[in-house]
Order: sequence, then C-alpha cells, then structure tokens
Amino acid sequence: MKAFDTVVVGAGVIGSSVAYHLAKKGLNVAVIERGDIASGTSSSCDASLLICDKKPGIDTKLGYESIMLYKKYAQEFSYDFEFAQRGSIYVCETEQELEVAREYAKAQADDGYPMRMMDKHEIHEVEPNLADDLVGGIWTECDASATPMAVAFAFIEEAKKLGAKVFTQCPIKGIKLDEKGHVEAAITDKGEIKTKRIINCAGVWSPEVGKMVGIDIPIKPRQGQILITERTFNIVNRKIQEFGYMLSKFEDVNYTRKVSELVEKHNVAFVIEPTLSDNCIVGSCREFVGYDRKNDIEVMQALAERAIRFVPILKDVNVIRAYAGLRPWVVDHLPIVSGVEEVPGFYIAAGHEGDGISMAAITGKLMSQIVVGEETDFNIDKLSFSRFKKAKTATN
Amino acid sequence: MSAFHDDDMLVCRCEEVTVGEIKEAIRQGARDVTGIKRRTRAGMGLCQGRTCERLVQQILRQELGTVPEEIGASTPRPPVRPITFGTLAGGDSE
Repeated sequence: MKAFDTVVVGAGVIGSSVAYHLAKKGLNVAVIERGDIASGTSSSCDASLLICDKKPGIDTKLGYESIMLYKKYAQEFSYDFEFAQRGSIYVCETEQELEVAREYAKAQADDGYPMRMMDKHEIHEVEPNLADDLVGGIWTECDASATPMAVAFAFIEEAKKLGAKVFTQCPIKGIKLDEKGHVEAAITDKGEIKTKRIINCAGVWSPEVGKMVGIDIPIKPRQGQILITERTFNIVNRKIQEFGYMLSKFEDVNYTRKVSELVEKHNVAFVIEPTLSDNCIVGSCREFVGYDRKNDIEVMQALAERAIRFVPILKDVNVIRAYAGLRPWVVDHLPIVSGVEEVPGFYIAAGHEGDGISMAAITGKLMSQIVVGEETDFNIDKLSFSRFKKAKTATN
Repeated sequence: MSAFHDDDMLVCRCEEVTVGEIKEAIRQGARDVTGIKRRTRAGMGLCQGRTCERLVQQILRQELGTVPEEIGASTPRPPVRPITFGTLAGGDSE
C-alpha cells in the first residue's frame, strides 16, 4: 500500500469528520476501518445535536460550536444527513427539579447560550402529549438533530472528494515506530501503510489501538439501550428529555427521583426524539456492562415504563425494535482531542461518551488544527491526553 | 432464481426501497445486509426485514457474486414482533 500523510483509524462519526477536516487542510489522508462505515457506536445511538445535556463551560462550547458547523455543512455537503433544528425541551417532574433546572439554565444563559425556562402552560402548548402533571422545563432553541450514520457517510463522501482514501474491512493490526519512537507505519490486514501520523478515532475500542504504541487510554464502554417506535403520528415535535437525565449522566447532581426499583437499578432516564422517517427513538440507560451490545428485557421494560410516565399515549404505540450501543466513557465526561507527548505522531480523538454525534464536527475541525500546528479555535487544554497523567500524580 | 433487472421494483415495502436503490448502496460500498440497511433503510420498517431480507440477500449475491456467509443477515434484535409500550411495561396487559 502507498504512503499517506495521515492515517485515521475508525470510520464512525468522529473518524469520518477528522478525515474530512484533515483532507480540507490539504493532507493526503487514508481512513482504515475494521468493519463498514458507521458500524459501531455511530449506528446504535440516538440522533441528537444538543447543548442542553452539557455542563456549562467547555462541554457546552464544544456542543454549540459543533451545531453551528453542522448547520453550515448541511448547506454545503452533497449527502443529506437530515439536519433539523427544532430546539429541545428538558421536562421537570417536581418543583425541586425546576429549582435545579433554573440555576442550570441561568448559568448557560449568562454564558450567552439560547436557553430559558418554560412554565407548565408553555411546555404543554408546544408538546401536547406530555403528561399533564409535568411542572415545566428548559427550552434550548439551538438544539438540533441529524441521522448519525448519514453524518458519517456525508463526511466520508466529502473527504473522498478531497482525495481521501477509505479502506473498509481493514482492521489495524499494529503500529510501527522508528528508532526515536515516532510513528512510522500502520500495519493492516491489507499491508503496511507508511505514515508519520496516526489519529486514533476508534471510540470504545480506542484503548486497543493505544496499546499498539504502549499507552493506556482510560476509555470504558458505558452501554445504552433504545426502543424504536413504529411510524406514527407526531407523538412529539422535538427532542424531549427528563431533567433526571442529568442525574443518570453525571455523578454530582444532588437530588433523587421517585422512581421504580427497575428504573433506578438500570439508571434509566427518559429521552425521546422524532426522526425524519416518522419513527421515534426512545431511551435510555447508562450502565457499565463491558462490551455487551445485547438488549436486556428488564431494561426494555424499564424504558417503556419511564416513557409512559412522561408521554402517556405511548402506551398504545408499538415498539418495533430495540438496540444497544456502547458510549466511550471518560471519567471527567470530556472527550480526548489531543496529541500524545510520549509518542510523536500519535493522536487521539475519542471518548465523547453520549456526545459523539453532537461533537463530531467540531472535534474533526480541532483535530485538523492540532495536526497542522495551527492555533485551535478556542482553548482545549481540558481535552488533552496529558490530563490523566496529571490526575494520577495528584492522587499519588 | 430470476435476476433483478427492474430497478423500479420495490424490495422493502415498509420503507419503500427499490432494487435500484439497493444496487446504488452496493456501489457506495455496502457488502452485506446490514450495510444495505444503513444506507437505504431497507429492513428498518414495521416488519424489520422479515419480508425483504431474502430479496436483499439475493440482490447482493447477484451484484457481488459472493456466497451467503459473506452477505450475512441483519442483527437479530427484540421484540420478535411489534409490542406496545403498555404491554412491554407490564402495566396493562390485556
């Protein structure tokens, strides 16, 4: 196989976006993917481009900048990735939740993001199928959706137009370093690719690729499960989540929900979003169960129970399919978008947990800036790989 | 087995996917049933591929000249047939 400036490992949404942005910088790019395009986490997730589920600060900044890029790409790209900007609603069950929500929305609005509270009357006016007793919520105007697999296909198509080569069914087997420890080649099933740079975009599988250069990447799979409804009338008009979702995602949100044992046990929080194909995606749970991508009937039961609590008419709507996916989880809930000091020429863009679709566009752009040595659009020290080393030193 | 020449013929009735669209997905790089599904939605509808999957497999074989093992089947996932949220939640089974 011939030589390339850069080899991207993984053709999920992240790898596809990284490949596109690198090709746009004029680099000669190869993408190697062990399966098909978007065949891992990017094909078993939901379709959200949100800031409403992010922490104030860099987390939200990444989400927001990414949505702005998607909006632009939706106009420019030839492949339709079904971008739709319909806003999102966080619904609250209790006054206590509303209070926490108010504080959160205020912090985000103070930072300039389009987030505000909606009262009981308003949430039911825009979403008539929500349960009558829900007390209010947060409205985030900029939130959007896109079809994840289509996002990957769209980035790949644009990357190819710029000369990138894509090798599917082509697993990476090893990485060759030169005598100075610098990346020299990627070893694949189909032969060796000479390259000075490798970008690890293998998501939950990125630790395996890290091992090939002797580094430990602290990403763990955090499983989620989803139910798909039949095609039906408009059950909801946009992405809706329960405020308890924050509770299932982060550890430092201090209140408890009154939920059934099953919902508690599987860390289930209600989310729903309509797709442009007239189905709804209903989720979800967050659990550490290794690399298991099977559905669990007990979890499906808990998802259905929690969904009916927020949208009672779902009771009579059919579920046609369930699936499970693996989020690449990192302990501080921030992705790794960084070079690796110890191994010159080795880079990581992975660890986005449930925000990979949201953040893929901006991740690709930032990674392309890192690779060519430009200043990044904004400070991303918090996304560096070296932060884990510092954390380790601090605890020792 | 008859060949698939008519590109306008519907293969997936639930999602209205034609022979021509499946051939295009193969040109775009799909090599198995799941690859076709991701690119065209064939098999993503109400019947979950129970009607069209065999046809999709046959078109793949015709276009690629591959054997059934390489073409595969879609990933088996619950439920076996559509079930309401109410029944699944266990609250009001009739």
